[in-house]
Amino acid sequence: MLGFIAADLRRHWIGVLAVTLIIALAVALGVVVTLQERALRLGSARAAQAFDLVVGAPGSETQLVLSAVFLQAAPLPLMEGDVLAGLIADPRVAWAAPVGFGDFVDDHPIVGTTQQLVGGLGRLVEGRTFAKLDEAIIGAAVPKEMDARFHPMHGQPQGPAEVHGGISYRVVGRMAATGTPWDRAVLVPIEAVWRVHGHGADAGHDHDHDAAPKPRGMAEARQQHRDFAPDLDAPINPAALSEAHAPGLPAIVVKPKTIADAYKLRRDYRSAHTVAVFPAEVLTRLYGTLGDARQVIALVAYGAQALVGAAILLVVVIHVLQRRRQIGALRAFGAPRAAVFAIVWLEVLTLLGTGMLAGFALGYAAARLVSRVVETASGIALPVIATPTDAGALIGLFAVGALVAIIPALLAYRQSPAAALRG
Amino acid sequence: MAALEVRDLEVRFAGLGQPALAIPELELEAGARVAVTGPSGCGKTTLLNMLTGLECVRHGHVAWAGTDLASLGEGPRDRWRAAHVGLVMQDFHLFPGLSALDNVLLPQRLSRWRLPAGLADEARRLLDRVGLPDPRQKAETLSRGQMQRVAVARALLARPDILVADEPTASLDAEAGAAVADLLLALADETGATLIVATHDPRLAGRLTRTLRLDAGRLI
Repeated sequence: MLGFIAADLRRHWIGVLAVTLIIALAVALGVVVTLQERALRLGSARAAQAFDLVVGAPGSETQLVLSAVFLQAAPLPLMEGDVLAGLIADPRVAWAAPVGFGDFVDDHPIVGTTQQLVGGLGRLVEGRTFAKLDEAIIGAAVPKEMDARFHPMHGQPQGPAEVHGGISYRVVGRMAATGTPWDRAVLVPIEAVWRVHGHGADAGHDHDHDAAPKPRGMAEARQQHRDFAPDLDAPINPAALSEAHAPGLPAIVVKPKTIADAYKLRRDYRSAHTVAVFPAEVLTRLYGTLGDARQVIALVAYGAQALVGAAILLVVVIHVLQRRRQIGALRAFGAPRAAVFAIVWLEVLTLLGTGMLAGFALGYAAARLVSRVVETASGIALPVIATPTDAGALIGLFAVGALVAIIPALLAYRQSPAAALRG
Repeated sequence: MAALEVRDLEVRFAGLGQPALAIPELELEAGARVAVTGPSGCGKTTLLNMLTGLECVRHGHVAWAGTDLASLGEGPRDRWRAAHVGLVMQDFHLFPGLSALDNVLLPQRLSRWRLPAGLADEARRLLDRVGLPDPRQKAETLSRGQMQRVAVARALLARPDILVADEPTASLDAEAGAAVADLLLALADETGATLIVATHDPRLAGRLTRTLRLDAGRLI
């Protein structure tokens, strides 16, 4: 019987190939949705692991997390400068580190922070941590050499941008890969960011650079901005963070000592001046939305699968009807009805099984490809992981297909052997 | 070797006033050589369908060696036909993609898990007997005459005691048709099977010992 099935499938190989391919594509669609949603969930959760508590100025909690954890560029409101000092002095806090944005080099964000956050994110694989204000640590995915010098750029290359021509940082260390957007970031001392933007204790001027004469037009203002050269040739001064007149900050990453401390800190820093969030909590909320979107997409995928199933059922039924004389002949020559049923059923199951396995492979490969593209663009590692539930879903789908395949098999089973004769 | 006894056989098709086939009585002795002739639409195929159990006998009796096909359900009828009837048809019904040998063996392969020992050898012997040089040749590459020879070998593999051929020479040229007619007669003689051939071919009909002439469903 298997020899006959193999010969029959071989003879109709073009149709078999087309049907298998269509099944594979429909299955792949569903597989990609499932795997990619899971990857996004796992990837973002991993990216948030180092960030227990984030404190920012009142505003969108989601934006605060997206900016502080995922380094999504957005203008965040600033907190008062003394918040950081309060957190550093707080006995419930293991460490608190500022996150200050603003500049880019190529399309890598330059993040101003302190040694504590560097330690919290991971370890260095090359070089050392920054000791002076003009020293930088680069993420694993930043294509720069040790000792390379670069000028920060105000704004992103795609949009309006100003190069801080008078300022240069030197790469002194490289972080281990973390699979987070921080792999694409350049870390510099927060004081440097303040000074570059005209803040800071000894800079003594704000962003208008009022040490220089008032510019007489936009062009001159830009020129002044480009030429502005604060003194970065100085060691890091940790005390600067705790100064009463420290500049405002968009976000502070806090490592509480205990879980209880984390909850107390969150309560205490939810006030008129600050907001404290657990990134995990915000992510859970995002996952809810993501899950809804996934369900919609999954429904579309299931709909596509159902349509493909219906179309293939039609093709198979027509095929069986077209071959009713041949099927009748099999019975006329002595093949039992059960054998005729089994032939049609097994042929459909072969197409279905092959198509689904190919579809899973295709979907897995596509999900990996999507992950790689997203990873390159955002730095978030999106792990594509197949779980036993996926196999369960495939087996379930196969079972449904096997049930539906009974229809054409029954049609063949009920075919009269008399059809084999002329007429 | 089975004798046939037909009583009150009547076949009606929905929407037709006259019965398509009405045979009050017909008897054939075991080992008979019978031609069924008549114009197109006279009921030849309907009669063969009834005699071979391909269709259900609803009115009357068709009994081969005492087994009344009217009393058998579809499954038992299939099994009875597989055991007793060898069929040869006008358009061969060989399955492309399978070799001549596999075509001969196919019905047996589909009816049991494992081929009985010696059956493949018997199939080779039959293919040799019908004059096919290479049993491994694919069915679709055979000539039409060769195809019908393979079909004859297939019909004989289960050692049937009834051999039924429906226009076996109609789609062959004269030479190949004559060769197939020779084979059918010779093999029926060798096995002692009752041979029933529906045919338009007067030369083939003339070589059989008895002719049933049908017109509008009635024997004349």
